[in-house]
Amino acid sequence: MDIDEDDFVFYGTPIEREEELNSRKKKAVAEASGHLRTLPSWKQEVRDEEGRRRFHGAFTGGFSAGYYNTAGSKEGWTPQSFTSSRKNRAEFKQQIMLNFLDEDEKEELEGRSLGTASQFDTFGFTAAEIARKQAEKEQQQRPSAVPGPAPDEIVLPATESIGVKLLLKMGWRHGHSIKDSHANSLYKARREARKAFLAFSSDDAKSQPEDSEPGDEDHKSILDHQPIDDGFPSSQSTPVYIINPKEDTHGLGYDPYKHAPEFREKKRTRVSGKRGSGNKQALSIKDSLFGLKFTFGPSAGRAAPGFGIGALEDYDAEDEDVYASAYDIEDTYIQEDEEPLRSNTENNPKLVWKEQGVLPGFKVASNSDYQLERFDPPVIPNDFLPHHKFPGPLEFDKKPATPPPPPPEVPPPKDDNLKVLIEGVATLVARCGKLFEDLSREKNQSNPLFSFLIGGNGHDYYLRKLWEEQQKHNGQKKIALDGKLSSSVDKMTVESRGKILGEMPLERSSRDLSSSIASVNVNLPFNLSDTFTKPESFSEFPEVAKPFQDDPGKQERFEQFLKEKYQGGIRSTASAGASNMSEAARARERLDFEAAVEAIEKGKLNKENKLYSQQIVGFPASGGMQFTSGGLQQGKDTQDEDLATKKMYPRREEFQWRPSSILCKRFDLIDPFMGKPPPPPRMRSKMDSLIVTSDLKAMKMEEAFSADRNQPLALQFSPQEVSKDVVDRETEPEVQVENVERPVDLYKAIFSDDSDDEIEASNFNTKEDPEKKIEVAHSTLNRLMAGDFLESLGKELGLEVPPNPPYSTNIARSSHQKESAIANAGNDNILSVEEKSFSIPIAHGVSQEERVANDEKTAKKGEFRKDEQPRPSEDKSDKVYSGKIAQEDKKKAKLPRSLHRKRSSTSSEDERSRKRSRRHRYSSSDSYSDSSNDHRDRHRSRSKGRKKRSSREKKSSKKYSKQHKHGSRDSQ
Amino acid sequence: MSNVSELPSKEENVLKGHEGGVLAARFNGDGNYCLSCGKDRTIRLWNPHRGIHIKTYKSHGREVRDVHVTQDNSKLVSCGGDRQVFYWDVATGRVIRKFRGHGSEVNAVKFNEYASVVVSAGYDQSLRAWDCRSHSTEPIQIIDTFSDSVMSVCLTKTEIIAGSVDGTVRTFDIRIGREISDNLGHPVNCISMSNDGNCILASCLDSTLRLLDRTTGELLQEYKGHVCKSYKLDCCLTNTDAHVAGGSEDGYIYFWDLVDASVLSRFRAHSSVVTSVSYHPTDNCMISASVDGTIKVWKT
Repeated sequence: MDIDEDDFVFYGTPIEREEELNSRKKKAVAEASGHLRTLPSWKQEVRDEEGRRRFHGAFTGGFSAGYYNTAGSKEGWTPQSFTSSRKNRAEFKQQIMLNFLDEDEKEELEGRSLGTASQFDTFGFTAAEIARKQAEKEQQQRPSAVPGPAPDEIVLPATESIGVKLLLKMGWRHGHSIKDSHANSLYKARREARKAFLAFSSDDAKSQPEDSEPGDEDHKSILDHQPIDDGFPSSQSTPVYIINPKEDTHGLGYDPYKHAPEFREKKRTRVSGKRGSGNKQALSIKDSLFGLKFTFGPSAGRAAPGFGIGALEDYDAEDEDVYASAYDIEDTYIQEDEEPLRSNTENNPKLVWKEQGVLPGFKVASNSDYQLERFDPPVIPNDFLPHHKFPGPLEFDKKPATPPPPPPEVPPPKDDNLKVLIEGVATLVARCGKLFEDLSREKNQSNPLFSFLIGGNGHDYYLRKLWEEQQKHNGQKKIALDGKLSSSVDKMTVESRGKILGEMPLERSSRDLSSSIASVNVNLPFNLSDTFTKPESFSEFPEVAKPFQDDPGKQERFEQFLKEKYQGGIRSTASAGASNMSEAARARERLDFEAAVEAIEKGKLNKENKLYSQQIVGFPASGGMQFTSGGLQQGKDTQDEDLATKKMYPRREEFQWRPSSILCKRFDLIDPFMGKPPPPPRMRSKMDSLIVTSDLKAMKMEEAFSADRNQPLALQFSPQEVSKDVVDRETEPEVQVENVERPVDLYKAIFSDDSDDEIEASNFNTKEDPEKKIEVAHSTLNRLMAGDFLESLGKELGLEVPPNPPYSTNIARSSHQKESAIANAGNDNILSVEEKSFSIPIAHGVSQEERVANDEKTAKKGEFRKDEQPRPSEDKSDKVYSGKIAQEDKKKAKLPRSLHRKRSSTSSEDERSRKRSRRHRYSSSDSYSDSSNDHRDRHRSRSKGRKKRSSREKKSSKKYSKQHKHGSRDSQ
Repeated sequence: MSNVSELPSKEENVLKGHEGGVLAARFNGDGNYCLSCGKDRTIRLWNPHRGIHIKTYKSHGREVRDVHVTQDNSKLVSCGGDRQVFYWDVATGRVIRKFRGHGSEVNAVKFNEYASVVVSAGYDQSLRAWDCRSHSTEPIQIIDTFSDSVMSVCLTKTEIIAGSVDGTVRTFDIRIGREISDNLGHPVNCISMSNDGNCILASCLDSTLRLLDRTTGELLQEYKGHVCKSYKLDCCLTNTDAHVAGGSEDGYIYFWDLVDASVLSRFRAHSSVVTSVSYHPTDNCMISASVDGTIKVWKT
């Protein structure tokens, strides 16, 4: 089989049978990725991207339109045959689009091109359109100065109104007057038209003179009546001959005699005969006047049968054949009946018409059916008040049936300035209505300070405050308005309106205002004093209200603001305030001003509502003082605010966050929370929750301490680190004990996936001595407590905490330590020498991170042991170190860029560090890896030492394995 | 002080091929190639220096919003409107894994240094970390402390940094288990790290780029002049960290001086919104992507 297949060449791809069985989804996917085999058209299904069959509509093909959703046919496409011989030449066929359309397409095409037939193109619109299109086409063909098609809409002059057009058609010309006499000319025109019309029909030739006779008479009578008219140019305007005036009630373009032209003649004679008798009534008018005339069919009672049937009227059987020829025949009968009647009326009208200017042949109806349709203006209700409603209604203006529930009480935001601002705005909004809020929101959209308007910080508090203010305000206003509203409910004066709108009346009218308000007050005795004192207070206003005396510029702006405010309407903000002020400052100032004004107004209200005649004298001064102080205070506040806003953002917060252990693994970091119970969601840092004072103090001290000793710290930290490692190692034996039983781990560490490490890691604590479990639970607390204490101790001792404590405690391992101490000394030197190269960067880099985490771990372990064998000094060194590490982290960023560059150019660095770590396995002389070195020494001394618990070792080996993996992956 | 002439402003190549807007364009690690993704649901690999289109990656069901490539150029990760994160093999163009779990569109995605973890930032107000090593498609970590859509994410060796519309730039330090939230007060569109790793450049929706010191969180500088009000526009620092580059919604590209925040150069780069800018890691070369469907390569 296989061998055979080699000989064949396969074209295309085999049809997959399973395709049909599969879900449509899968098919769609296959289709999307171009896997759909080329099926014959009848097997293909058109589907959209979600695998649904294309549905064309229930009545337009269902799932299959055309020929299997194609434009083909069963026969396929057959080319036209072409035969041409000398005898019969094949004529050259001009192909047009219609050749390629099928029936319904043609129909559709025709249906689309709806236009006026040229014979009914009364105003020449269609012709004009065609001409325009033609011109456009030509325009496109020939080059023009203006590139592109010249838009005719622009070039064309403004079109005349239809009325003008009609008049023009009727013979009127520009500059001519339209007069009563126009009826005359119109009549003449008609007469002419009639003449022309009659000239067409030879039969009517004899009746023509008859016809013209009364017309002439009419004309003469007109001349009698209006002799001047003839002199008018209007009368000379050329009449427009309406060749075939429409006089029947047929639809436009409908010709009842289309197939029986002989009847047309008959009809015409009849009509002309009618006309010969001077009857000029149009059929329709006649019908409406003499509705009884229509006797045909069951629709006799209808005023206008067949016509005027709206879409909503029911379409009865009798309506259907409006256009049927039967109608016309019957119609003609009727008209015969009419004949005598008409002749009766025919003689009279002239007299009447002469007098009243009625058209010839018409008589004035005694009671006219016609009524000029007039639309009366809406009736203004009696109780309508011409009072402008402010778009943002004041709260006290409207009284909702059920007041919305008050927003919940919210503690004010911590930021005092923000609080003040919110309160200010709330007061203003309560006073000035919602509009103010909207305005200020719009203005201060980008201003973070006003974010509470949009729902940001402090929004809740703002809502609450607003509600409170509104309540307060309503209370106040109610007192003021209760009486006023009741008395002035029927008539709102300008003043009261202005009051509601918050407008300040002009100086003179302020007297009126006060008096009007006073008159409202029931307390007559005080009215007098009111009238006197009010204006005084108002006129004093500018002098009194100098809240910004210390700042003349501001005071000036305030006055400007007052002026503008009381001009009413919406103020132009552009003019307000100095242009060099920032938007925020301006907004705040405006708030200031508003607040000041409000305070003044409040004072005014107080005056109105209380017995104050005695206080008047005192008020301006006290009020003024009040304003001044308040203003000053506010001014100060705003200045503070300015600073505050500067400081507000960016704002830094710190939270505890627990990365998942696997994430740490993947980032090649040690889980900082390893072995700890999951913290409650979003716990604050230990600074907040635990012994705050000492901690804070410690932090501060540390900071102060490290601030001036940045560089030394960076250098000094290495020996300690080494000592740290020493300590680290000391803790290991205990841990290693129980790991000895797991020889598989090494393999795992090297070969298995990292997720195994994770398990291992999580096992780490559980596998520890059972009695330590409890300690683990307490470890955090213990460590923190001890840490704080030791930290301060360590600080007192200074940085040079000697690494000897371990010596004293662990005599058994003293030899190791001595070694390492020597190494430390060497290391110190090396470090200082090598500082410029990569030892520091490395210390800052990956390894250092490990160390930090490592450190924590050891600190913990140290504490475990503390119960058995307290070694405070070791812990101390630990803590100092770890504190410094933390410091170090901060410092890192401050180090010169070159260092960071090194650090951040990770790949090469890592490579190097990895290499180094590998190298360490073979040479124990390197200072950097002294820990692992003597670790290894120890391992060598113990047969199963390799079963390390040291995370350093683990790390390095893991890293190695990881790198190995990287390499292998890369090479793949 | 490097001078203005060093800034790339000469149009070297125009990479055309995307049908519809290009939402992101990124150089790869060494700057020899670039990747772009856009509304046409494809990811494209280009050689920007020669102006060659190399490969197209199709599989996304909706627009692709972000793409990132590993340091070794072997894998891609992309995300987009289909709420999935796709993990691709560069050479074969096949999807190795799809990470589902985001509740809505995914705005940004990044590999970590070892290409072992993918961190994606979603409109569902969360960051999710996905494991590329295991076969699990569950996120290994979900960070949902944001209060609005997370727009952009950056990874360092030890930290995850993300900017969100809630106005914060949050740094999640894996090493010490801390979350540091820097509230800028304005929706953050995009963040990018300075090459020395000390600063974060955050593009805010008030048409301002803000430079933050990462260690202290203080605002170092603000860069204004461009328009950035509604689109997700990228910003970046130049390879020397001397200038700040950013696109604008009016089709311009702006260069600011890092220190004094003056606009050093601005030129019309595209006919429409410049969605993305990416600076070459070593050379004076930049690519910009726009809604007009083109990617342009700029050199000095």
